[in-house]
Amino acid sequence: MKLISRTWMVAICAGFIFLSSCSGKKEIDFNAQVRPILNNNCLGCHGGVKKQSDLSFLFMEEALLPAKSGKRAIVPGDANGSELIRRVMSLDPEVVMPPEDHRLNDQEVSILRDWIDQGAKSEEHWVYIAPDPNIEVPQVEGDWGSNEIDKFVFAKLQQEGLSPSEVAEKTTLVRRLSLDLIGLPPTIEETNQFVTDNDPAAYEKLVDRLLNSKHFGERWAAVWLDLARYADSKGYQKDRLRKEIWRYRDWVIASFNKDMPFDQFTIEQLAGDLLPNATDDQILSTAFHRNTMTNDEGGTDDEEFRVAAVIDRLNTSFEIWQGTTIGCVQCHSHPFDPIRHEEFYELYAFFNNTTDHDDGRDSPLRELYSPDQLKKRQSLEQKLQSYQQSGDTVTLEYKNKLEAFLDIKPGMVQVMEEMPADSSRETKIFIRGNWLMHGDVVQPDTPEHLPPMSDSYPKNRLGFAKWLVDGNNPVTARVIVNRFWEQIFGSGLVVTVEDVGTQGQKPSHPELLDWLSNQFVKEHKWSVKSLLKNIVMSSTYRQSSKVTPELLEKDPANSLLARGSRYRLSAEVIRDQALVISGLFSPKLYGPSVMPFQPDGVWNVIRHVDRWELDTLGDQHRRALYTFWRRVSPYPSMLTFDAPSRELCVSRRIRTNTPLQALVTLNDPVFVEASEALAERMVQEGGETTASQIQYGFKRALMRPPNEARLKYLLEFYESTKEKYRAANSDAEEAFLERQAMINVANVLLNLDEVVMKG
Amino acid sequence: MKILEELQQRHQSHITRRHFLKDGTLGLGAIAFGGLLGCNAVAQDPVLEAAKVKLFNNPHFAPKAKRIIFLHMAGAPSQLELFDYKPLLQELNGKPCPDSLLKGKRFAFIRGVPDMLGPQFNFNQYGETRSWVSDLLPKFTEVVDDVAFLKAVHTDEFNHAPAQLFMHTGSPRIGRPGMGSWITYGLGSENKNLPGFVVLVSGQSIPSGGKSLWGSGFLPSEYQGVELRSKGDPILYVNNPEGVTRDIRKNAINTINKINQQEYDEIGDPEILSRMAQYELAFRMQMTVPEATNMKEEPDYIHEMYGTKPGEVSFANNCLLARRLAERDVRFIQLYHRGWDSHGSSQFENLHGGFKERCNEIDQPMTALIKDLKQRGMLEDTLVVWGGEFGRTPMQENRQGVTNRFKGRDHHSEAFTMWMTGGGIKTGLTYGETDEIGYAGIKDRVHIHDLQATILHQMGLNHEKLTHQFQGRNFRLTDVHGHVVKDILA
Repeated sequence: MKLISRTWMVAICAGFIFLSSCSGKKEIDFNAQVRPILNNNCLGCHGGVKKQSDLSFLFMEEALLPAKSGKRAIVPGDANGSELIRRVMSLDPEVVMPPEDHRLNDQEVSILRDWIDQGAKSEEHWVYIAPDPNIEVPQVEGDWGSNEIDKFVFAKLQQEGLSPSEVAEKTTLVRRLSLDLIGLPPTIEETNQFVTDNDPAAYEKLVDRLLNSKHFGERWAAVWLDLARYADSKGYQKDRLRKEIWRYRDWVIASFNKDMPFDQFTIEQLAGDLLPNATDDQILSTAFHRNTMTNDEGGTDDEEFRVAAVIDRLNTSFEIWQGTTIGCVQCHSHPFDPIRHEEFYELYAFFNNTTDHDDGRDSPLRELYSPDQLKKRQSLEQKLQSYQQSGDTVTLEYKNKLEAFLDIKPGMVQVMEEMPADSSRETKIFIRGNWLMHGDVVQPDTPEHLPPMSDSYPKNRLGFAKWLVDGNNPVTARVIVNRFWEQIFGSGLVVTVEDVGTQGQKPSHPELLDWLSNQFVKEHKWSVKSLLKNIVMSSTYRQSSKVTPELLEKDPANSLLARGSRYRLSAEVIRDQALVISGLFSPKLYGPSVMPFQPDGVWNVIRHVDRWELDTLGDQHRRALYTFWRRVSPYPSMLTFDAPSRELCVSRRIRTNTPLQALVTLNDPVFVEASEALAERMVQEGGETTASQIQYGFKRALMRPPNEARLKYLLEFYESTKEKYRAANSDAEEAFLERQAMINVANVLLNLDEVVMKG
Repeated sequence: MKILEELQQRHQSHITRRHFLKDGTLGLGAIAFGGLLGCNAVAQDPVLEAAKVKLFNNPHFAPKAKRIIFLHMAGAPSQLELFDYKPLLQELNGKPCPDSLLKGKRFAFIRGVPDMLGPQFNFNQYGETRSWVSDLLPKFTEVVDDVAFLKAVHTDEFNHAPAQLFMHTGSPRIGRPGMGSWITYGLGSENKNLPGFVVLVSGQSIPSGGKSLWGSGFLPSEYQGVELRSKGDPILYVNNPEGVTRDIRKNAINTINKINQQEYDEIGDPEILSRMAQYELAFRMQMTVPEATNMKEEPDYIHEMYGTKPGEVSFANNCLLARRLAERDVRFIQLYHRGWDSHGSSQFENLHGGFKERCNEIDQPMTALIKDLKQRGMLEDTLVVWGGEFGRTPMQENRQGVTNRFKGRDHHSEAFTMWMTGGGIKTGLTYGETDEIGYAGIKDRVHIHDLQATILHQMGLNHEKLTHQFQGRNFRLTDVHGHVVKDILA
């Protein structure tokens, strides 16, 4: 059903010549000037969904054909002969387009006229054109900057008449870096080590230490799990639990920790089961696409929900790796991007051949060990062998080790499994997206507007995965680089990380994005750690986040990067930080999901599931990412801080600022407990005086001592609180009153704006 | 960033700055944003003003209703045992269902050929309108002239979770904003010190659609429904920890904000001012929420009227709470009462068992709610909606082809009864009609998207214009469907 070989806007070179130099007018830039006019005014009725009068401006080769009336909307080189121009200029309300009250303004009309007169040249949307492999780093005057990123940023700043901000304080930098790279604040010792290190390479040493921290993988897994819509339950009405799927979460952590190249990370998750001699880990990684929901509600049609899961796999894959929201193409051609209805089902066909079928068991399942378990097994095995070699097999120690070895039980994990070759599923188009109305049979294929898949790839998920990351796809690396950039700077080079298509925003620094993408693929060989190191080593990253009135006026959203970024910490980091500051933090990695404190009555919302059993022995103080995640009832404080419920892939959490967030950090027993623990440390470790104890607590939270005014406010609060407790507890001992006052001070510290923000 | 977000952000920074300049550090009191709290702060930013007309916080036309109380009977009560009286069905009782009703249809549990099931309870006509009501709702018969019955409502879904999602979010799949989120997104909130979208749950457990029913979907999370709980803190964490008095808390927030003010002087980020305002707001909510939910201050005759017992988790308590919230101008008050899934497979799912009990639980309080709103002059601008997510079959359920042990009916999407009152709805009206056995609507059918369009219309919103861009397209509550049911408007 492919109409014309190449779609959106192949430059229309054909046999007409236009002489822009003769017309004396500046050449029109299709993407910058014409496309927005068409998208905003025309495509609603003449696009991928509606093609009124058989006219669509979505695929330019179609726009050049005569419409239903026989007239041609666009006659290249002849604006006066083009129906489009006649319509947009007409004064007759019956004729004018867009209809009367949406009339184009003079400037828009003149852009369209000039564009047609100049030959109606069109070009593809930027993201579908491969980045220039030889982008030159701009030459800029002045000595600001540490690496190439800064050159791009500085060049743009100079254009805009702005200068970069000074470098941030060392105490700010160590906190910023630590929160960004491992999602935890530094300790006082770590801070002192960096602040007192006068080696010019001190900063780089800090970066390297953090990149090699075992907590690095946890921080980045938390981001990936939103995309993978990972949860510990199946979703829908019953939302039964998936008690072993955490092994996939651990695989993600371990993969980030060992800096698995992102192309491999991609291939294994999408098609690890199809790799030759797939290892257990490669099979486990495919649980990625088994995070789709399964419907256990009585009376539901399994096929309907199998189809829903397959569609979700396709939508999720496209959103993550192509920054394209393809969901609307389920029912009709994409209204704005060059994806045809049938192409959706050609892509769907890649995913429509697995054996899972929305059954109650959640099959297929695979018996798998976690990396942690494997490590333990290995070490025990070695020891057992050494006993055997020395003939010590009857000792109690041997017996204990043997029992420990046998105790390590694998979990049954939901994985992907391809249908046997002789019973492959046939894929048919769903008419208007309705799974019960079948159209033509289609074969797996990639969309026309992207480079074709290599003939050497199999036409299955493995081929699809390779096609995404073999370096020929112009979109993948840009989308991925943009995601990591967003995590560090708070917003992407393309702000709409979920949509880089024609409806997404334009990149703020297109050359920088392309340069980083080239480097990510070619030089860094898809190494995420190298990409991140490059970003945080830049002077751009190290700037102070101070906002001057001038900057606020000229660049309120900081898209030009003339200052360091400043934004609220994520739901996970808010919790983890409080645990570290208070000293409650459990650094334990991996393992089954845990149940920290949550109020009664939140969890038992739906029948048929286990109870929320509060974990103990430190497990209640583990990082937020290990918290048991049930889709119908996500952990309440996480939701309050904008975490999604993980039913669907979410690329970007919208940060809000609400009073409910204040109530969490003020009153949630988790934060009350942290305040108590922090107060205890302030008293125990903060020296003799109240002032020194408060200074110590402040430093634990913010890596620097409070200035005089802050200290004064905190001391005043301490004293007034102590007196309030005294008034309410007339016979209480002084120690009790002091302790209560300090707990309240500690709680204030955890609620300061500078503590919940990354500065 | 989408235009709306950008504008909101600018709006926020603009007015926080302005207020700060005017008021100094504290006393930022009046500022609030989004749906969670009021959107009424006046913006003077011309760009925002211009955009607001199209996008934000502005009714499309004069609203008839200021607020909504939506009584959702989760599990789907049988219309054939309550309002849609079918004498012919009585005659057909026990006879096999004709093939024509089964051909090409999908049911949740019915397999093979089920028997027809006659109405299980006695019906009579009441009021000047001579409306049919069964013996199970004796109190409700007193207010039949005040409501509009929709007898031929139909939906696309026949399983609970998808149908509930469809009713509230316009889509059977999870991930879209609920009606309350859409409305607070469109209109903001009247009361600056209470959430604009509140959810009250009673019955067996929360509805099967889960918390996604009041999630904000792709709208910012400040528009999500806030559950007011009957036990424990009414809003999570609204109460101070033990020993922390209101005085201490006030000093704490003053201290936090004095330090934040220092920080603002050093850093200059307007977001800091916004956070200061949110902390003051949190402090005020700690007062207003317990006050709003304290039913003990209601006089005895009101408790008798509703049948309320403070401290219980019950539909009656939630009805009274709904009235208290309506008085405080909470925009969207959503009640769920669960336990209506009368398949006949157990005593709980028996029409003569659990179903009867549910009717008993709702009859007095929902009647009291209508009368109470009326006597306070609030019914005029409060829209009350009652109904389940779908209806029940005229056939008796025969799970696995065997007639169920108790009397019960399967899920049915083609016709069911809802009623509405107040907020500019015509009273004393029966709209729509089903066939002789109540299987399908034959006149004036109302689709769920029509119902949604009508509700939005009464709130002053055009369902085709209340949109939000997400994943490259404009979404709306009614997807690409829905017509306002003009015939039921006063």
